[in-house]
Amino acid sequence: MAFYRGQQGSVKFDDAGTTAATIASTRSWSLSVEKESLDTTALGATYRANVGGLISGSGTVEVLYTASSSDETNAFIEMVNSANDEGAALFELYLDTSGTKKITFDGVITSAEYGATVGELQVITINFVTNGAITLDI
Amino acid sequence: MAAVNLNTIRATVEGRLATELALAPPVPVVFHNQPYTPTPGSSWVQCLVSFGGNNYLTMGGTTGSSNSVIGVVVCNIYTAKGNGPGANYTISKRIRDLYNRVIVSGVHFDPPTGPEVVAAPAPEGYFQTQVRMTFETFEDL
Repeated sequence: MAFYRGQQGSVKFDDAGTTAATIASTRSWSLSVEKESLDTTALGATYRANVGGLISGSGTVEVLYTASSSDETNAFIEMVNSANDEGAALFELYLDTSGTKKITFDGVITSAEYGATVGELQVITINFVTNGAITLDI
Repeated sequence: MAAVNLNTIRATVEGRLATELALAPPVPVVFHNQPYTPTPGSSWVQCLVSFGGNNYLTMGGTTGSSNSVIGVVVCNIYTAKGNGPGANYTISKRIRDLYNRVIVSGVHFDPPTGPEVVAAPAPEGYFQTQVRMTFETFEDL
């Protein structure tokens, strides 16, 4: 049985939505995929019935600030400030270092939290939502 | 980048102190695993560099990843016994100022602790204080 530790993960990103490149100094990522449920309970039924509805995802990536420039890491941490975002940015969230276990989707970066705290490394927290299909190759 | 060279870090820490204490008024300084027989009643400094916990900083395997390397510099400052703390604190200040919040060659020094008076000096026959500085450096694999 194989187990995985968090440091085996990674994040790739491409703001143009074509070829994703590794985001440097990624500390963590998370993705929550949710499916709406539609109540189809018949009148007079004893038990409630549901069917699945629309699927969506949202998540977070934490990146240590390294002053990178002119690369996808820089694009990633600044994209929240871009205009006319069509949601075409490509996200690839990896679970293993071999790069075969991944979650792929297009998305929109919805917020970025920048900050500096005395005595601590500077961390940028990026929040995103998915746009369209989510592919789970895990 | 590559795995961190511990001797490079040690040289950064020790070299800085050796250069400072060679200035007037000079104070002898001795480092880890070096023999030294102090002159009774003289002032001298023992500097001990140790490495401690290492932590994951970023995701990744043996390449394209970063670790945090933590260490501590312990400086024991010895001055003549029975003459008050003034001479000792003068040396302590020189050492403290040397590392206080300094970033040099990628080594980040934290604010120093001390000088703390050591109740039972070792070796005996001196007034001893201790100044400690933790530091952090980053290993890019």
